[in-house]
Amino acid sequence: MLLKNAVVHDGLGNTFQKDVLVENGRIVRIADSIEGEGFDLSGKHLLPGFVQPISNWGVNGTAYEIRPSANDNDEHSDPITPELDGFYAFNGRAATAQQLGAFGLITAGVAPTDNNLFGGTVAAFHVDGVNPYKLCLRRDIAMMASVTPNLKQTYGKNKKAPVTRMWIYTQFAEQLRKAGEYKEDADKPKDVKLAALKRVVEGELPLFVSADSALAVRHVWEIVRTYPKLRLVLVNGFGLTGQEDWIIEHKIPVIFRTAAAVLDKAAMAVSFEAVRAFMEQGVPVAFAGEYSNMFGAREDMLWNGIELMRVLHDADKSLPLLTSVPAQLLGIADQTGSIQEGLLADLVVWSANPLESWEAHVVTAYQAGEVIYKEGDALKCM
Amino acid sequence: MYVIKNGLLYTMGVSGTLRADIRVDGGKITEIGPDLPLNGGECVDASGLVVTPGLVDAHSHIGGFPEGDEIEDLNEITNPLTPELDAYYGINPDSKDFEWALRQGITTSCLVPGSANVVCGWGIVLKSAGEHRLVSRPAVMKAAMGINPKGCYGSKQMAPMTRMAIANLMKTWLRNVREYMDKKAAAGDDKTKLPPYDLGLEHGIPVLEKKIPLKVHSYMHDMMTLLEIAKEFDILITVDHAQGASDFAEELTDPHVRGVIFGPTSEPLFPGEGGKLDYECCKILDDLGVNIAVMTDGPVTVFNMLLYEMGEAVRHGMDPVRAVGLTTINAAKILGIEDRVGSLEVGKDADILLWTKLPTVSTDAELKSVYIDGVRQL
Repeated sequence: MLLKNAVVHDGLGNTFQKDVLVENGRIVRIADSIEGEGFDLSGKHLLPGFVQPISNWGVNGTAYEIRPSANDNDEHSDPITPELDGFYAFNGRAATAQQLGAFGLITAGVAPTDNNLFGGTVAAFHVDGVNPYKLCLRRDIAMMASVTPNLKQTYGKNKKAPVTRMWIYTQFAEQLRKAGEYKEDADKPKDVKLAALKRVVEGELPLFVSADSALAVRHVWEIVRTYPKLRLVLVNGFGLTGQEDWIIEHKIPVIFRTAAAVLDKAAMAVSFEAVRAFMEQGVPVAFAGEYSNMFGAREDMLWNGIELMRVLHDADKSLPLLTSVPAQLLGIADQTGSIQEGLLADLVVWSANPLESWEAHVVTAYQAGEVIYKEGDALKCM
Repeated sequence: MYVIKNGLLYTMGVSGTLRADIRVDGGKITEIGPDLPLNGGECVDASGLVVTPGLVDAHSHIGGFPEGDEIEDLNEITNPLTPELDAYYGINPDSKDFEWALRQGITTSCLVPGSANVVCGWGIVLKSAGEHRLVSRPAVMKAAMGINPKGCYGSKQMAPMTRMAIANLMKTWLRNVREYMDKKAAAGDDKTKLPPYDLGLEHGIPVLEKKIPLKVHSYMHDMMTLLEIAKEFDILITVDHAQGASDFAEELTDPHVRGVIFGPTSEPLFPGEGGKLDYECCKILDDLGVNIAVMTDGPVTVFNMLLYEMGEAVRHGMDPVRAVGLTTINAAKILGIEDRVGSLEVGKDADILLWTKLPTVSTDAELKSVYIDGVRQL
C-alpha cells in the first residue's frame, strides 16, 4: 500500500510532505516521491494513531455482564495485588465495539484501576480485533500503583484498610522495602507479591503511580527516591505547576490525565501551563484521557491535545503527547506511536490537522496496515 | 457606556455575520452598526477579534453539588415524584463552579434538579455573574426517564423499576395536575369549592398551560414515549441528553418539542440507553428546523464540554456558524429567554464574548473577554 502526497505529521515533532510505503503491516519506506499506484492523499493529513497509555478500553464495554461483580481491571478484594497481569482484563471485542479508529486511537494501554495500592501490570493492545495475543503489543510493561483517595473509598468505606492516607503511604513504603529485601528461598513458598514488586525496585519495569495532588506526589517521591534503580512515572499530574525541580532534574515522566472527569474536581487541577513548562524543560509528558475507573470518552486523547493547543498554539509540539511519548512510556516506541520506517503502519488519515481544526475528521484509520475505519462507515450502536 | 469597535460579529440574529461596532449602555446592547461614534463613551478595541453572544448552557447542575458535601443538593432521592421542589433552593450562587463556567464563556445556565426522580422539580435560569443574576424562575419542570429513576428506586425494590412504571408515573402526575386545574376552574370564585392546596400540582400548572416545558432526561426510545405523553397532555417538552436523537429526527419535528439538548458526550458506548453517541444529530435536527442545543451537564463534566460539543458537531458535518447556535440562540429559544440573551441584537442583554478566533473552527481559539450585562467579568 502506497500513501501519496499527504502532509505527514510524524508524531516526533516534524511535519513534511512525503510518500509512505506500507508492506506487510509495516512502514517500509518514507521518501519524497515513491513510484507506483497509490492512494492520492493530497490535502489530507497523515498522523500516527493515538496511543492512550492508561485506559479501560476492552474492559469497560463488558462492565455490565449478566453476573456482574467488578470490572476486570478492578480486583478490589485486596489493596495489594502486584502479582496480577492487566493482560487478562482485555476483551478485544469490547474494544472493537467502541470503533476507536474513528477517533484516531489505535493503541491502548490497559491498566489495573486506581483502587489498589499496587494493582498489577499494564499491557498494551491494538484496539480492533478479537484474539488478545494477536492484538497485544507488549505486556508486563509497568506496575500500576495508586495513592489516591480511591483506596479509601473502595476499602475504608467498608471498614477495611486503608481507611486513612497514613496506611496508604506507610504500606507503599513498607511493601517496597520488603520487596527490596526479598530473596527467594527454596525452602519457603514463593511470596508472589514481593517477587512482583522486587522487579519494580530493581528497575526491571517502571512504577506508574497515580496520585491526586502535588502533596501526594511529593510523598511518593520521598519514598521512592531511596531506590536508585526504581523507574518512577507519575500519573495524573494534578496540582503540579511545572516548577517542581526534582521532576525536572530527574526527568521523571508525567502522564497527565484530565478532561471529562465525572464529578471529579481533582481533574480540574491539571494545569496545561504546567504541561508546557515540563515540555520546555525536557520532561517526558504524555496524555491519557480521563481520570476515573469506568468512564472515559473516545475523544479524550484528542480533547487533551486541544486543551494543550490553547496554551501552546503549536500542533507539531502537541502531537507527541498523544503518540510517541506515550509509546515510549509503554516501551512500544519501536512498534508504534510515530511515522518512521520499520514501525507498524498504525496510521490515521485526517481531512485536516485535528489538533488545529474542529473540521478535521478521520478519512481512514489503519491498524498495522489494515483498514479498521473509513469515512462513511456507520458508527455503530451498542 | 462604551463601544466595542471593529470586531467580527457572529450575531446569531437576523444580521448574521458582519464586521461592526456594538454600543453597550445600561447593561444592554443599544446599537449595532459600522463606525459608531463614541459619544463620550469608552472604546473597546476588538480589531482582529471574533465577537459572539455569551454562551448559554441549556442543562446544568452547577452550584448544586457543594464541594466537600457527600450528598449533593439537587437529587432528592426519597420519592420518585417531587414536583414541589425548586432547584432555586439547591443552588449556591457563590459556588466556584460559576467562575469556572465563566472562564469557558458560559454566561447563562439553566440549573435543574438531577435525574433521580421521574418528576424532579422546577429548574431556574441564572447568569454566571453580575448583580441581578436570576433570569427566570421557574424556567422548566425537570423530569427523567430511563436508568436514573430505575436505578435509584428499582434497586430498593420500589417503583419505578421499569420503563413501564416510569411512563405510568409521569402520566399519572400530569393527569392529577389537569384534574386539579379543572377543579380550580370549576370552583370559580367560590373558595369553599377549591381543592386542597397542593404545591406539587400547583407547580405542574405552568407545564399544562404550556408556559414552561417539561425538561426530560431521555435517551433513545424513551424519546418516543415522551413524545406520546406530550401529545396526550398537549404540553411542551425538551428532550435532554438525547443520545440517539438521529434515529427519531422526523418525529422530533413535532410542535410539542420545544427543543433537543444533546450531550454531554464524555463517555464510551455503554449497553442500553448509552449505546449510541450521535453528534451528527446536531446537523440533522438543525437542517430539519428543530431547535438543537448542547449542554455541559456540569459539574458532571468539565465546563469546556460546550466547546468540545460544538467542535464535535462541526466535525460531524455541522456548519461552524450554525454550531455557535448550539450554545447561543438555540439554547435561549429552548429556555424561552431569547428576548434577553442568545444573540447580539439591539435591546438584548450585553452578554458578549471576545475571542481570538472562531471557537467552532479553531481548536486554539482563546477567550479574551467576557461581558455579562455589560460588565466585564474576564
